[in-house]
Amino acid sequence: MNYVLLAPEILLTVLALIVIFIGLLVSDRSKNMLGYISAAGLVASLVYVLGTKGEGSFFYNALVIDPLSQFFKLIFIVVSLLAVIASIKYFENNRNQDEYYALILLATVGMMVVASANDLVSLFVGFELASMSTYVLAGFEKKNPASLEAALKYFIIGSLSSALMLFGMSLVYGVTGSTNITAIIEFFKANPAVSGLDVIAMVFLVAGFGFKMALVPFHMWAPDTYEGSPSVVSALLAAGSKKMGFVAAFRVLVLALVALRADLWVTFGILAVITMTYGNIVAISQRSIKRMLAYSSIAQAGYIALAFVVTTQMSIAGGILLALGHALMKGGAFIAVAVVGYMVLSDNKNAKNIDDIENFAGLGKRAPITAFALFVFFLALAGIPPSAGFIGKFVLFYSITIEAVRQASTWFLIVVIIAILNSALSIYYYARVIRYMYVLPPAGEKIKEPAPYVIAIVLAVIGTIGIGLYPQPFIEMAMNAANVVLGV
Amino acid sequence: MTLYLYLIISAIIFTIGAYGIITQRSGIKILMCIELMLTAANLNLVAFSSFNGNAAGQVFALFSIAIAAAEAGIGFAILVALFRVRDTINLDNINILRW
Repeated sequence: MNYVLLAPEILLTVLALIVIFIGLLVSDRSKNMLGYISAAGLVASLVYVLGTKGEGSFFYNALVIDPLSQFFKLIFIVVSLLAVIASIKYFENNRNQDEYYALILLATVGMMVVASANDLVSLFVGFELASMSTYVLAGFEKKNPASLEAALKYFIIGSLSSALMLFGMSLVYGVTGSTNITAIIEFFKANPAVSGLDVIAMVFLVAGFGFKMALVPFHMWAPDTYEGSPSVVSALLAAGSKKMGFVAAFRVLVLALVALRADLWVTFGILAVITMTYGNIVAISQRSIKRMLAYSSIAQAGYIALAFVVTTQMSIAGGILLALGHALMKGGAFIAVAVVGYMVLSDNKNAKNIDDIENFAGLGKRAPITAFALFVFFLALAGIPPSAGFIGKFVLFYSITIEAVRQASTWFLIVVIIAILNSALSIYYYARVIRYMYVLPPAGEKIKEPAPYVIAIVLAVIGTIGIGLYPQPFIEMAMNAANVVLGV
Repeated sequence: MTLYLYLIISAIIFTIGAYGIITQRSGIKILMCIELMLTAANLNLVAFSSFNGNAAGQVFALFSIAIAAAEAGIGFAILVALFRVRDTINLDNINILRW
């Protein structure tokens, strides 16, 4: 066994402990350096994940390193890097910064463990590590009732979903006699007959993962949690923690679907269509931008879930690409909202409803970099080329159209048409914010945008447009990852 | 027949937990219901482990017991922080965030 392949996880875990210990020793003022240390550690793991090509399995095949896990680790590390860079300013001079950065690093490790998990035990432990760290992060502003309420709602729904998932896993273990995912797939291949218990187990697993992915009807926690949490934590939750549900679903559900040859595509088709339509329609009527972004992120989860409908190599690659694009766009957009919050609070210390759409009036004049970045993120989320959002949606919708033609299936075609109409609908509420930013008169003076925010936002913009202009390597990586998903 | 007995008991415990989460309004009771649901899954795991004759399920149950304890700790911490700010943990009063 070559433990060097696990270096990113080991590095981040050790770094989290070091950050806590440094926090015990230094004065409150010097804690500001912890953000830079965490960012440096994340950059090191990012370079390592991008640079290594090896594959391997560890701990009795409980963790595997393969193209799928590496692709999702890339997403998770990039998202928490953006969140950490923005937090350097957001939590500046906060005396609990040491705990904050340690929790972000541990949440990242948890997500990475989920990405590599090849055993139900490691999958569950990774899920819980990431979830518990983010429960605390959501309530990190402990004097702010909205933040605590967000944390409580997230905690209750999150624990409920963990319990459903664990119950489903216990049934899978009972049917197959093993907790190893490879062994479970082998078992289903050898015994293709579907029993009632298999179906019940599958329903519990779909419900458990569905809560993490925020698919309708398991989405109720997402808008409340994303609105109430500190904006940088919302970025981590919407962009990172949600993808955790997708990677687990790719690993467990798709393999199980292929092995069981069960026609579950109807279920996922209905879930995906309802999710994207509901998310987009409710987003239209929102006045809080964070809440609007939360509903738009539910809609995006609906698009990604289309990958489960046809389960071809190309559709899964499209889903994975859209997950990467969504992570950059949504993470950047939430951080841009944090800049607006900073701007409003520097006008008026006791401002309420800081993410209200009125505060975005004339943002193009008050904070030009932020406004331009939001403009890019919104167009990318709506799927306008050249952007990561366009590439993901294009590959995904194209793959379903191919499959519709190949199987001469009207239903697939209807699903694609609904998805494209939904993309068009989403332009309406993005354009509304763009109108506020560039057409309406500014409500105050121009501000100086703090450097950490600008760095995080610019990195996200470069990623979003870069993937759109030069998608080839990313498409190849996603195709390799899709091969792993399909077990080819 | 004994395996079925265990499965039925665990299904009943799980249902009681799920019912409680839907109907109860006190934060503490909801935490107790979550623990019930996790316990039902543990009972399943141990019963299957004994029935299948391999230890993997019992190992899984040990992991999940430890995790359930940590989860309860975090839940109570959030409730305490909420009680300090709002003077209540009744979920009917916790309704700032809504559309």
